[in-house]
Amino acid sequence: MTVDLIFDFLNQFFTSLSGNEFLLLVAILIPCVVLFGFITIYALVVIYTELKVSSFIQDKVGPMGQGVGLHAGKWGLLQPIADALKLLSKEDIIPSSANSPLFVLAPFMIFVGAFISFVALPFGDSIIIADLNIGIFYILGVGSLAVISLILAGWSSNNKWSLYGGMRSAAQIVSYEIPAGISLITVIMLAGTLNMQDIIIYQQGGIFNWILFDNPFIPVAFVIYFISALAETNRTPFDLPESESELVAGFVTEYSGMRYAFFFLSEYANMFVVSAVAATGFLGGWQSPFPNALNSPGWGVFWMMGKTFFLIFIMIWIRWTVPRLRVDQLMNVCWKVFLPIGLVNIFGVAIWTVLFGG
Amino acid sequence: MGVVHGEEMVLNIGPQHPATHGVLRLQVRTDGEVVSEVTPYLGYLHRCFEKHCENVTYEQVIPFTDRCDYLASMTNNFGYVVAMEDLMDIKVNERVEHIRVIMAELQRIASHLLGLGAFGLDIGAFTPFLHMLRDRERILDLFEMTCGARLLYNYMWVGGLSHDLPVGFVESTYRFLDYFEPKIDEFVNLLVHNKIFVERTADVGRLPQDVAISYGVSGPNLRASGQKWDLRKDDPYSIYDRFEFDIPVGEGGKGSVGDCWDRFYVRVLEMKESIKILRQALSSLPKEGDVYQSLPKKIRPPIGSIYKRTESPRGDLGYYIESDGTNIPYRLKMRSPAFTALSVIDEIAAGWLLSDVLAILGSLDIVLGEIDR
Amino acid sequence: MSTDQDKLIAELVEKGLTGDMESINSIEDRVLRSKAKAALAKAKRAAKSQETADPQKKKSEEKSSDDFSSSVNLNERIENMINEKFPGSLVNKNTETHIQLKPDQWFDIATWLKSESSLSFDSLQCQTGIDVGDNILEARYNFHSMKHKHYTEIRIAVPRQEATIPSVEQIWRIADWFERETYDMLGIEFSGHRDLRRILLPDDWEGWPLRKDYQVQETYHGIVVPKMKEGWE
Repeated sequence: MTVDLIFDFLNQFFTSLSGNEFLLLVAILIPCVVLFGFITIYALVVIYTELKVSSFIQDKVGPMGQGVGLHAGKWGLLQPIADALKLLSKEDIIPSSANSPLFVLAPFMIFVGAFISFVALPFGDSIIIADLNIGIFYILGVGSLAVISLILAGWSSNNKWSLYGGMRSAAQIVSYEIPAGISLITVIMLAGTLNMQDIIIYQQGGIFNWILFDNPFIPVAFVIYFISALAETNRTPFDLPESESELVAGFVTEYSGMRYAFFFLSEYANMFVVSAVAATGFLGGWQSPFPNALNSPGWGVFWMMGKTFFLIFIMIWIRWTVPRLRVDQLMNVCWKVFLPIGLVNIFGVAIWTVLFGG
Repeated sequence: MGVVHGEEMVLNIGPQHPATHGVLRLQVRTDGEVVSEVTPYLGYLHRCFEKHCENVTYEQVIPFTDRCDYLASMTNNFGYVVAMEDLMDIKVNERVEHIRVIMAELQRIASHLLGLGAFGLDIGAFTPFLHMLRDRERILDLFEMTCGARLLYNYMWVGGLSHDLPVGFVESTYRFLDYFEPKIDEFVNLLVHNKIFVERTADVGRLPQDVAISYGVSGPNLRASGQKWDLRKDDPYSIYDRFEFDIPVGEGGKGSVGDCWDRFYVRVLEMKESIKILRQALSSLPKEGDVYQSLPKKIRPPIGSIYKRTESPRGDLGYYIESDGTNIPYRLKMRSPAFTALSVIDEIAAGWLLSDVLAILGSLDIVLGEIDR
Repeated sequence: MSTDQDKLIAELVEKGLTGDMESINSIEDRVLRSKAKAALAKAKRAAKSQETADPQKKKSEEKSSDDFSSSVNLNERIENMINEKFPGSLVNKNTETHIQLKPDQWFDIATWLKSESSLSFDSLQCQTGIDVGDNILEARYNFHSMKHKHYTEIRIAVPRQEATIPSVEQIWRIADWFERETYDMLGIEFSGHRDLRRILLPDDWEGWPLRKDYQVQETYHGIVVPKMKEGWE
């Protein structure tokens, strides 16, 4: 585990202070800072990807011109940086009739919720900040912190449209956590553990040992998990809470500048988290698809990132293709379709495992 | 067990809102998400069109008519010009008639593309909107080639046209038609039969036929409710009686007759019919003829009045013109189809959810410029 | 010389119109020959346009007289029926294009117009309010029948000071908004309308804009109202 490695390294380096808690603190802080930097850079990358992919789908050209030479070119790589600078330099407006403490608290809470699930994600063999024994369970639990902050944001804006958005999103996220959890139960049943690294180690040996191909019921569970993840992160077709054409901007109507950027950022961070969990549970995490090749820890990071980004790409693809569901249809799908299928899945996986073995 | 009622909430959709197709204010009373009453408030775009027309000459009215329904200017001009020529008993030559029909049908396709794209945007499908705008740009290029303007043309004059067709117009139009016809099928695959779209629009906002007639709804909205009424066939003007085309009528393909899906699908089919008319008109377009031949030197209609209707992409566009023998109209009233279409919204939107109200508004395809004038 | 030449040319043209080109072609003088040919071509063109104009004129006359006669017939029929059922409502004027009524029994007549099966005017197409001068305001209704596909126009004139007409919004629902617009623009009050208020102008606007003696108010909530320029030409 990363913190242990760094702690050992620092112990060797500063032999006079070895074993001190201060070194432990430093050993924890360093990966956290690196992670924070990673999230920031990831946000820039994914914003750029979304703009470019959406442009290709919509027959546009997307960001252009800010090529690596700052003259007209095909890349437009400075666009996300320009976006970030713009949001940083905007005036911070708090409506006078809004509830100020709650209004200010909401974006921080949602970002904290996204960030603390990052610490339990495995990026590679022994590259993980907190190798908890209850890894998956922890991530699922902490992800619900988003609900409180969305309700806070909707309520404290003192705006009927934001209220609508907040209420809708609370109902949606809380409902869709259930099919997501139920689909992950099938994974946990097969792997026999809640620990993230152990689930990945269970899938070693090449692509056909991945949990996805283990059992005919698992692809169904994968699809259900993926769609529930879309609903949890408020992406189309489930983006009713922030639907542009209906509710102006939903629960973020009254936010501007950096506060808005926090909501934005945490949506993308959430996307990463759920994709990483799907990659871990179903697609083998940092295991390479070839049983004996490309196995080193460096390649592990590559495989993990590759699988996660592939799933993020599919999320972006779906967003720009499909219209959005109405609120009651959304709830319908969750409770009347996904929940029964999920329960049948658990049953099916259990029976299959008993009949045909591991 | 009774139903739990909270307090009723009064919500304003608009006037500034991404989905209201202009500046329209809808005051909505909701109980939770269910809407109990919708009251439209108009007048945010009122520009005193009718009062202006009582102060300018008959030729100067034509740019004003452009700006009423700014997304379908050609058919606005067409309606006025046909009414005036009826009043003054002017006959225009064949080439002018053909060119007018070609322009009107191209405008119909362009207007439907925008209306359908905006409807998709309200439902949440961002991509078809951009694809349709891309195709609409090609039609606007054709218009720009002819008269220099992309949106407000001032093209059809009483007794003729303002510009003749440029060299190469007919070939460009044929190229556009060949490019566009498969795009309709592509679009049908992407949106019309999409399960989520069907669930959002089928059975929503059903407009029964007799209610539609009583509310004066016309055009694609009326046809979607089952009544086969098209002024190009039932009260033909210009040379529409020479062309062969069908009138698509809503049949409740995915839900019941007269719901949002029907209104949407009828417009898609109408685009195909317009392509048929265009091909026939282009092939029978006479190569010779002077478009300025019948332009009158002075427009002084005889004393009297006339009410003439033509088919605009939104419905029956009617002009009531009363003239007192001078060269300035005494009274000009424009009966706009979107006005009547909007009046029906309280009847069909009550009892649905908030998202449905916006879907219904989008399916009626209104333009505020025409309603407020 | 010119009159001789003209006579000669006229003769040649006559012969040429009947198909005899010999006399023209046999003229020695080139100028005269070409003049004769030009005159012949002009005469032929005039003859052809007259031919096409004649049948077209006849056709358009026939067609318009068809419509005309059918609408005249229809208007006459309606007038006779109104005279029978609602005596005293008809104002006898020029019936070729419209029917002129008095406002008193308008609601009953309107109900009858919609329900009578041979007329069945189920669609109110347009309602125009107009200030015809002489202190008279008129409301003009254009009706249309989807079943029989015929149409008619009905006009009701009221004095400017007491402009009241019974409302028909319960019969044709679109009359709700049409009458609100006429009220907004001209000040004609429709008695029995359930929600008569302004529709296009703000609720607290003063005056009736489409009347010919309308003076724009100076300020509206403190904002200066721009005036229309004199002499638009």
